[in-house]
Amino acid sequence: MTKPTLALRSVSKMFGMTAALTGMSLELFPGEVHAIVGENGAGKSTMIKIMTGIYQPTSGHVEIDGAEVSLHGSKAARLHGVAAIYQEPMVFPDLDVAENIFISASRGLWLDRKATRRQAAELMAHIGMKLDVDRVASGLTLAEQQAVEIARALSQNVRVLIMDEPTASLSAHEAAELRRVARRLADQGVAVLYISHRLEEVFELADRVSVIRDGEHISTNLIADTTPQQMIAEMVGREVGNYFTKMASTTTDEVLLSVRDLAVKGVFEGISFDLRRGEILAMAGLIGARRTDVGLALFGITPATEGEVRFKGRPLKPRSAQDAIRAGIAYVSEDRRKLGLAMELPVLWNMTLATLATFLRGPGLVDTGAERRMAEDFRKRLNIRTPDVDIAVGKLSGGNQQKVMLAKWLNMNPELLIIDEPTRGIDIGAKAEVHDLIRGFAARGGAVLIISSDLPEVLALGDRILVMREGRQMAIVNHDAADQQRIMALAMGQEKAA
Amino acid sequence: MKKRLLSWEGLLLAAFATIFAFNAISLPQFLTIPNQINMFQLSIEKVIVVLVMAFVIINAEIDLSVGSMMGLSACAFGWLFQQGVDPVVAIGLCLLIGVLGGAVNGLFVAWVGLPSLVVTLAALIGFRGLARVLVEDRGITDFPDWFDALGQQGLIGPMTFAMISFFTLLVVAWIILEKSAFGRHTYVIGSNRDVAEFAGINTKRHKLIIFVATGLVSAFAGLLYAARVGAVRGDVANGFELDIITIVLLGGASIFGGSGTLVSTGLAILIVLNLRNGMALHNVTGHIQTGVIGFLLIASVLVPRLDLLRRITKKSKGQE
Repeated sequence: MTKPTLALRSVSKMFGMTAALTGMSLELFPGEVHAIVGENGAGKSTMIKIMTGIYQPTSGHVEIDGAEVSLHGSKAARLHGVAAIYQEPMVFPDLDVAENIFISASRGLWLDRKATRRQAAELMAHIGMKLDVDRVASGLTLAEQQAVEIARALSQNVRVLIMDEPTASLSAHEAAELRRVARRLADQGVAVLYISHRLEEVFELADRVSVIRDGEHISTNLIADTTPQQMIAEMVGREVGNYFTKMASTTTDEVLLSVRDLAVKGVFEGISFDLRRGEILAMAGLIGARRTDVGLALFGITPATEGEVRFKGRPLKPRSAQDAIRAGIAYVSEDRRKLGLAMELPVLWNMTLATLATFLRGPGLVDTGAERRMAEDFRKRLNIRTPDVDIAVGKLSGGNQQKVMLAKWLNMNPELLIIDEPTRGIDIGAKAEVHDLIRGFAARGGAVLIISSDLPEVLALGDRILVMREGRQMAIVNHDAADQQRIMALAMGQEKAA
Repeated sequence: MKKRLLSWEGLLLAAFATIFAFNAISLPQFLTIPNQINMFQLSIEKVIVVLVMAFVIINAEIDLSVGSMMGLSACAFGWLFQQGVDPVVAIGLCLLIGVLGGAVNGLFVAWVGLPSLVVTLAALIGFRGLARVLVEDRGITDFPDWFDALGQQGLIGPMTFAMISFFTLLVVAWIILEKSAFGRHTYVIGSNRDVAEFAGINTKRHKLIIFVATGLVSAFAGLLYAARVGAVRGDVANGFELDIITIVLLGGASIFGGSGTLVSTGLAILIVLNLRNGMALHNVTGHIQTGVIGFLLIASVLVPRLDLLRRITKKSKGQE
């Protein structure tokens, strides 16, 4: 039997009194893609940091090729052939592909441009990416940037490649490309550790899958021996019934939002749909399909240049977020950190960011009592796990941050809720809860426009699915007629609109 | 965040108590009412501007032009008075200059989108230039007695009009910053302007209001200076912006915006005033006084940084 390239032997990691990992054992064999799944906070990041030498285990040890090693610092880990790539690629935007790949190679004073370029091209061919090595990194797609990172790891003779949610920000097409690279590396004998929240991806790619929960190893199975339902149950320690299944539609007859030939010049054009009360319309498409731009136009951030929007039967031309909010439209951004939450401010303050004007008494003074009652109410209703509403929202987990963002908009009682990537980067338990919240909002008569790159999510939530491709509307598909292949085909321009 | 600020407030309180106790024990005249009044009087114009500068910095901006605006307002008053303009009208015009100057800063920062560091640096030079053009290097003096009295004479007991203005403004600023929607928005915009924009907050108007208020209060403080000294010159309040910003930073406001409170800013004011007063009474020379204040600035910038550094390392260790 071959020895594992890298193994964790009963590794525990304590932070003060808190155990992040408890007796974690894991073996990575050459040539396998080993997926790790677990909720946020399960201990995945701590595990990666131990493998890459950033943390040292409190007890237990790391083995490379069967021999105990101590990895002090990321340099030591790299010397042992352990490298990691993350969701956000670390490339230098002003350097070209070849320079990025060999960024840390010390080869004397002068860089041999020709040799560098040739070797870079070889590495790219090696991982099966067609990429011009002279291109500047800032012009690359996320997937291409990640390929550059992988090539960089290869140039340093990587033997264990850790991929931490590499596809979380990628479109379906790019994600498939990246998975192909991962598979190819494994076929060449690299041990690939693949961490993902997307179960369908795990089933497509991985040879084995390990579930971890609360810092403990729960199971390791051959992929053929397990099912998504079983994995989810192991991850959350309970059954999550309806994540993948579509619930009955609550669509009514009353059209709330009517969009005709909406366009922002040079960005997107010809968007037309009706959205009824109680309905969930999901916008699907690849990255670059300009779905978010449609959302931003409806929300008044980048006003539409052409077309007509009627909201509650009246024409609506929002020129700013204020206009849209006043009309009753809420927009939950995909970018929590940049556009969604003020991370260092308290949960309470974030919840009333958009609605402070409704919590006033006297001349512009905040009614903190009413504000706090609302916050506590939403904390209970949305099951937001936080010690109190006064701590900085940045300290919560991604899923709880997402719920705070929802609370921020739901407490304005919007009639139209636009949600961009409702569950990106949050764990599966929180995902199910967010989905329930969205369905509940629609069931109470609200209309929802969802923008999502997660196809199972699109199918689980959307009563109808609007597919966009490169700034154009390809089709609106009823849920009954929709499946992943059809949506994907439309998004990639493979199928003409029905 | 709360805990960190509390600990910073605790540090400030301890520092203040130490300085106060040292002064009280070593200086028999320290605790007398005339000395306490004098201590506030000598810096009253600066600490008034500190109150608005706290808003500017929490809003993640900076206003370097406050000292020049104080000078411009004082000199404009002197010049207008010299031209025979009624002093009351002159006061009104000077306050208007403050509003306009602040509006220019605010428009360039909020609408044109230039960094406030650059805009207000230009304003620092521009306002000062105007002040010098108006008054040049000769002093203007002999203002009406009632005007000088505003800065010199006790109005309520030994408290001058300037001091009463400060305490009134302190209460008003505290209510606005800590209790009102405007104050809340000051923090939110300072913490993340895009988030505020997406929440429908009018960030441009907000920033404009803050810069206008800063211009207005600076102009007001400049007039108080003219009244207290009883004379103006082209270099009135030269360099005051540094002391003012120092106090706000010492009060724990982050130069990156989004944090700071008026309670700790108040403590920072007390620390600086008591320190200066104690040193002056101990006959410490001006140069050393400046040195000590400079050390405070370094400490006030450095200590939160150490804290930040610790938080960052903690974050990378504890995060999942």
